[in-house]
Amino acid sequence: MSNLRLKNIAKDFYDGRNLRRVLYQTNLTFYPGELVVLSGPSGSGKTTLLSIMGLVLKPTEGAVYLNERDITNISDNQAADLRFKNYGFIFQQHMLIDGLTVLDNVLIAFAVQGKKIRNDQKNRAYQILEKLGLKEAINMQPLSLSGGMKQRVSIARALVKDPLILLCDEPTASLDAENGITVMRILKRTAIEERKIVIVVSHDSRVFPFADRLIKIENGQIVSDTREHYT
Amino acid sequence: MRFLVAIKMAIHDRSTTAGAVLGVVAIIFLVGQQLSVFFGLLNLMSVLPDHSVADAWVMSKNIRNSDSGNLIPSSYIDRIIGIKEVEWAEPILIGSGLFRRGDGSFEPVRLVGLKRPRITGGPWSFIQNDERALLDLESVVVDKLDLRKLGHPYLDEITEIGEKRVRLGAIASGARGFQGTLVFAPLEKVREISRTPPGRYSAILIKFIENSDKERIVSQLREILPNCSVFSSEELSKLTRNYYITNTGIGGSFLFSTSIAIMIGVVIITLTMYTSVLSRKKDLALIRAIGGRKRDIFVIVISQVLFIALLGIFIGFLLLSTLLNYTLGSQIPSYLPKEVFPALTIGALFVSLFGSLLALKVALKTDPASVFH
Ligand SMILES: Nc1ncnc2c1ncn2[C@@H]1O[C@H](COP(=O)(O)OP(=O)(O)OP(=O)(O)O)[C@@H](O)[C@H]1O
Ligand SMILES: [Mg+2]
Repeated sequence: MSNLRLKNIAKDFYDGRNLRRVLYQTNLTFYPGELVVLSGPSGSGKTTLLSIMGLVLKPTEGAVYLNERDITNISDNQAADLRFKNYGFIFQQHMLIDGLTVLDNVLIAFAVQGKKIRNDQKNRAYQILEKLGLKEAINMQPLSLSGGMKQRVSIARALVKDPLILLCDEPTASLDAENGITVMRILKRTAIEERKIVIVVSHDSRVFPFADRLIKIENGQIVSDTREHYT
Repeated sequence: MRFLVAIKMAIHDRSTTAGAVLGVVAIIFLVGQQLSVFFGLLNLMSVLPDHSVADAWVMSKNIRNSDSGNLIPSSYIDRIIGIKEVEWAEPILIGSGLFRRGDGSFEPVRLVGLKRPRITGGPWSFIQNDERALLDLESVVVDKLDLRKLGHPYLDEITEIGEKRVRLGAIASGARGFQGTLVFAPLEKVREISRTPPGRYSAILIKFIENSDKERIVSQLREILPNCSVFSSEELSKLTRNYYITNTGIGGSFLFSTSIAIMIGVVIITLTMYTSVLSRKKDLALIRAIGGRKRDIFVIVISQVLFIALLGIFIGFLLLSTLLNYTLGSQIPSYLPKEVFPALTIGALFVSLFGSLLALKVALKTDPASVFH
């Protein structure tokens, strides 16, 4: 079964003068088909952990395995390539590019690869946008969308590549309750129905009911890792 | 696709894009305008050797330009026509005098005396009458752009140069000099006005028969005229231009103002491109995070630069040609050889790329991890 595995991961940062450990010996394995919520207080290392999983940050110690292949020390280009093929990202801010339409934004990962966008990629974008209730917005600019719509566009941007792994950092933090729940429903459905690894960083308690697995982190250490079923 | 994404982003960021375009426009327009004046002045400097139909010029020893030399004796002409490849050899006499304007005041002029009946070395393009006017001893020819300085004489008006009676026989165009107002007249008239001794000339213009080996004849002329300067017309033109460029400060002032124009352009482009990349830093980080490689960022930034540069070059040339159309036929000398257009285009592209180095450096350093913060 495909998986993402962190083995003895640790991370140090320079804060001004000193090297400070913000993440201690972490061992975690993630499997498709479940929604993982990673929770903890501010500054506990959630984003750091997510960045290492997302191959945008190199760990100080330990190794990252994707489908049992060690990808800790791959080149910058190889990492970009893996991110392109296997990862979808969703952030607290929608991070849509101004000046590009909703459709352009959804297809941006393909567009910047320097190849012509294929019709099947375009069709998939249309399908996903329609599914997320954004059919009318396809040719609109991000500036003219509501917060909830923008976040859904950013989800479409992550899903269009059909990635194995979906990494979400506080995806509901800038949304109201209703939009937050919509987003979590989409993520949950993606994890279960499309059998993806979905990891959601959040300290928003509204998110917990959606978790199949809840990992708590404090001061750079995993303090609990439980599989429970909430409904 | 990257190019399209880049351009859509640039179009969206109207103000920074417009700023950068302005930088390119400034370079094209200011440098182009400087160049046109510079080339216009070059044309004035060497107007006589450039437009004489002669292949070679003989002047006194050690001249440094076509405008100043001692007189040479007419006997040289006999020696010159002894060479069988010489089709003809005609003297000119350069003098000076005061042209009396209609209101009674005077304008100093440079007289170019041409020998009848061949009258070579004179004006080549006319707007009223033609070179045949110079067959008449009384008649002089001036350029239409010099008419104002000369008090707007009308055709056939009688006036005086150096107290000798002359008549405005024809009006030429493009026959302006760098060293004062040129007045073309029959050689005898110039001799009379500037009181030069008979049998003495300023230069001898030589035409070779068709298809002859010019270089060889020029060196042959140098051998038989050891006390003279012998130049092909092209050499004399070059010599004269170099003389004025280096000795009048025109070259220096041109280089100075051109460098300033380029510097201003580079600074504008550098600042605006830098600002534009900074304001797009989050987008660039996103592009990196979702799988864009460094080279994709490179292509995006360079595409924007090229888009801006081409737009700026287009607008710059539009403005420049408007200006040139306006100054054409005015007192301001202006001339742009065709080669200047591709050269300026390539130069502006190069300068735009140079101005974008800082922005590119910042863009390539974008850390994909920064999307999470
Ligand atoms: N690039 C960096 N350089 C130096 N220190 C960093 C860097 N990134 C994170 N840190 C530090 O590492 C610690 C963990 O940061 P991280 O962003 O992972 O926390 P977090 O759990 O995501 O917090 P929040 O809930 O506020 O987003 C913090 O103390 C932070 O200051
Ligand atoms: Mg965080």
